[in-house]
This record gives sequence, C-alpha cells and structure tokens, in this order.
Amino acid sequence: MISAMDEDGDDDRVFKALADPTRRHLLDRLFERGGRSLTELESELRMTRFGVMKHLRVLEEAGLVVARRSGREKLHYLNAVPIRLIHDRWIDKYTEPRVAALSDLKSRLEEQP
Amino acid sequence: MTTYSQEREVNDSPAFQATQVYQVFIKSTPEQIWEAITTPDFTRRYFHGARITVTPESYRSLGPDDSVWGDAQVLEFDPPRRLAHGWDSLYSAELAAEPTSRVTWEIEPQEGGYCLLTVTHDELENSPKTAQSVSGTGWIMVLSGLKTLLETGQPLVA
Repeated sequence: MISAMDEDGDDDRVFKALADPTRRHLLDRLFERGGRSLTELESELRMTRFGVMKHLRVLEEAGLVVARRSGREKLHYLNAVPIRLIHDRWIDKYTEPRVAALSDLKSRLEEQP
Repeated sequence: MTTYSQEREVNDSPAFQATQVYQVFIKSTPEQIWEAITTPDFTRRYFHGARITVTPESYRSLGPDDSVWGDAQVLEFDPPRRLAHGWDSLYSAELAAEPTSRVTWEIEPQEGGYCLLTVTHDELENSPKTAQSVSGTGWIMVLSGLKTLLETGQPLVA
C-alpha cells in the first residue's frame, strides 16, 4: 500500500521502480494480460518466489501495479496512470502534437526494412 | 544476463483485458471527487468532453454534440465512497453491440488530504472491442485529467 506524498516523492518511486529490467518485464507481462497471481508471474521468471514478491512490492508502492484480492489469491494489474502523470508534467498540450509527429516519424522510419 | 525465462508464452492470452484496474491519488476531499464524477459540468472538462449525470438510478452521458454516449443502470450508489454503474459504449455502433460491462469507482481517504481513487472496469469477458477501446489511454487520460482538474482547477486538455 502506498502512502500519499508530494509529487517528487511519487515520481522518485516510479523512476526507481522502472529502473530494473525484471520489474519492467513484470509490467510487460501485466500489460499483455492483467489479473495474474504471484504463482503465475513467478513461473515465468528464473527467480525465487520471495524475489518476485519483492519486485511486485516495489511496483505496488510506486502505484504501477494494483493488487486485488480474489478469493484466496491476490491478482495483479498494471496501472499506467503514474506514467501518464509524468508525461503530463513535461509534455503539455501545445508540444504534444509535435512530439507525437516526431515519434510517429521515428517509428515509421524504423519500421522500414 | 537476463533473469527471466526466454520461453515464449503459449498463445493462451487474449489481446484484451476483461478486468481493468486504475488508481490515482488525488489531493481532494471524497465529496469533491464524488461531485466531479457525477456532475456534467465537471465531467465535460476531463471525460473526453462527455457530460455525465449520475442519479441513484441512472447513469447518463451526453457527447459534446448532444448524442447519447451512455445510458446505463446505477448498480451501487453510496456517496461519497462507492459508485458502480453499467457501461455501454453508445458512442460507437460496433462497441454498443457488445454486452453491458461494469464500472466501479471507489474513493478512499488517505493521510495528508489525499484520496485514493480506484476505477475498476470489469465484466468485459464478452466485450473485447470495448475492453480494447477503454484500455491504453482511455481510462488513463480520464483519471489523469480528473486529478489535474481537481488539484489545479484547470482542465488538462482544452
């Protein structure tokens, strides 16, 4: 459970949570399909159950993963709202169309053989 | 070194999320958040321009051009803590043809004048197109816009 803090504290937790390949991998799995249990997430990682739990806790504290109880299990969902808030902080409504055009161009160029 | 398995997952995962959970901390009171999610003058400023009116019985949403975007039953009405209503995406004929899903709003007061707002959109098992359309930036934009509006008084996008 996260406690509410100032904006920078929130951002610190998000950046720290994202600064780890295993945690980004966990978010990728939950992006593909949410509602996964610890057992399911653990089965895809070469890591102890305790290790996966620790990573999930960091993600939950950053607000990037929401855990909901469902019967005996805890199911995990990706919550990308904190990432959007970081986006909103630096990319305002005037610059966004230009940034979008540039990232579109980048992906189109990179898609070419 | 990779710490995770390189095995590709067997193709058992649908490309949509039948249950979606979104959370955001908002520096506001439960009463203000409740008002912001149930009154059209607030919702039009962060909910894709929709004017939403919620009563204990019904949830009605009108688009900027007055077309009906949503007209559903209210399932739980417990101000200022919990609201659940049906969801039919009437703004698109293709999405509207799918079964009604459910949206639940939970407002939990936290320390420091914050509330934790959780939105759960579920019962989407037989509504894959609706599930896809509300995921990604759909709910995320609504919640980040709601937070910005309540904390700064300004809508995020004009």
